[in-house]
Amino acid sequence: MNRAIFVRTWRAQRLKLLICSIAIAAWSVFLPVIYQSFGSQMRALVDSGVIPKQLMNFGGGDVFSLSGSIAIGYIHPIAIVLVGIFAVGFTTSAVAGERQRGTLEVILARPVSRRAVYGTLLVSALVFIAIVLAAAIGGTILGSGLAGVASELPVDRLPLLWLNGILLWGAIAAIGLAASVSFDRLAPALGITLALTVISYFLEILGSLWPDAKGLQPYSLFHYLAPREVLNGAASASGFAILAIVAAVAIGWALVEFPRRDLAAPS
Amino acid sequence: MDALSTTGLTKTYGHRDLPIKRPGSRPSGIVRALEDLTISVDEGEIFGFLGPNGAGKSTTIRLLLGFLHPTVGSAQVLGFDIVRDSVAIRGRVGYLPGGIALYDSLSGKGLLDYLGDLTGRPSSRRAELLDRLELSARTLDRPVRDYSRGMRQKIGIIQALQHDPELAILDEPTEGLDPLMQRAFYEILDDLKAAGRTIFFSSHVLSEVERVCDRVAIVRRGRLVALQEVASLLEHRKRNVELRAASDDDVPTLDDVPGVSSIARPADGRLTCQLEGDVGPFLAAIAGHRISDLTIEPAHLEEAFLELYQDAEPEDDGASHAVPAAEPAIPVGAAR
Repeated sequence: MNRAIFVRTWRAQRLKLLICSIAIAAWSVFLPVIYQSFGSQMRALVDSGVIPKQLMNFGGGDVFSLSGSIAIGYIHPIAIVLVGIFAVGFTTSAVAGERQRGTLEVILARPVSRRAVYGTLLVSALVFIAIVLAAAIGGTILGSGLAGVASELPVDRLPLLWLNGILLWGAIAAIGLAASVSFDRLAPALGITLALTVISYFLEILGSLWPDAKGLQPYSLFHYLAPREVLNGAASASGFAILAIVAAVAIGWALVEFPRRDLAAPS
Repeated sequence: MDALSTTGLTKTYGHRDLPIKRPGSRPSGIVRALEDLTISVDEGEIFGFLGPNGAGKSTTIRLLLGFLHPTVGSAQVLGFDIVRDSVAIRGRVGYLPGGIALYDSLSGKGLLDYLGDLTGRPSSRRAELLDRLELSARTLDRPVRDYSRGMRQKIGIIQALQHDPELAILDEPTEGLDPLMQRAFYEILDDLKAAGRTIFFSSHVLSEVERVCDRVAIVRRGRLVALQEVASLLEHRKRNVELRAASDDDVPTLDDVPGVSSIARPADGRLTCQLEGDVGPFLAAIAGHRISDLTIEPAHLEEAFLELYQDAEPEDDGASHAVPAAEPAIPVGAAR
């Protein structure tokens, strides 16, 4: 961990972080309000057969319960993009982008080990993700209060929900950074990480909407993001462990690969 | 003590499982960017490191700083091993990369502060360098993206030298500097040398290498082809001579004069030739002749450099090369 790099990274990302945090908080305020306002009408619609029941199971959420609507908020593309800006965008450009621009040269010419650079960027990514997810939880609390459903919100389980989110996005960030330290150009690092994230997301959504594809869901990292189960007190520890293992493997790879790589002159 | 020394330093690239081929066989896919480089740089010396693009200059510098890992051989910088003690080395070295890239969003001051913080040593020379390179406080407050190429280069020089490193590794340091700033930079180098600092200087500008360096190493296709004091390298170079006699009858006969070659007598009492080594016999030979004008051009590093390169193979484009086959096999598995 290098303080100067962390401070510089924080300064470079803080405006983006503020915008994403406000946006995800606003989005999270919105979902309890939807649940309170339209939850019963949506159930009536589903019961009437106008809307296919499976469509109401998008990403393991629903709009008939507060926990279900919060779960939709977490798996919705809006939230995915807002957190992905840091988990994918920041991490992949953190090393490969700097290599491509040539700015990594002046950093690594200083008495800073590559592992210290990597560790600082990993901590930075986790801090950014944690802040965005905290903003989401803050928005959920605020939205529940505004919608008058705060009594239904199990506040004591929110830290576990936060941890679940950090583990998912931390695993994706670790993959992004592992790709970033493995390539000299941004495009392959970003491409690989984005492809893994999109495929993983697709498998989870497909499995949630199509019963025959349910068997694909365990292969998705997003399957182990379980806001409804966490808020209902039914979260599985194995899901948390799988995310932690994926993150640990990616971190291990990066810690081995980055120091042993040859860093040729930027072209 | 040597500020820097390498012993058989070699860097190959390529697939680790590919065998190295014998001479005359097809290229193996393994590229030797640097081969068996053995040099030493004394403390307090300005050492020039020359070669065309792809000769192995940047590879050497990157090996010294730990960006690349040597395939074979070893090197010490300020007494530290380049593989084991890379971080310690970088704490004592200032590095200016060729064509330096900077953080455009930062101000010049912000950038120098940031890089100074990373170095962990006080930026004791910054004020002096800013003054000598004529960068004002107002300029430093502007974002780097607004800087001209020359201003970026000045910032690059300052970031490399602001913490007063024991050894400065400078790759094309005067690129983009105007002649006045080049002169200011040479004076900075002179002062650093006077203060006992060591400069490892890579450049394409041979006149400036000649001007500032004590010794030069010349690399070609990854191999060291010359390692000499600049004065010694120039001593045996041929100098161009042109003389004009008062009349054709006064043109001296120089055919048997030691060191004189390529004699030509165009007309009008003119004579041109090349002169190598001691000038005494030449002066004795023209004594007694009525000479109205005499020009002896000093030898330049450029001629020495070109001479060392003129026997390059036709396919030599200066780029890194596939392994010639007759050479002994090396453990390419360690190439990463």
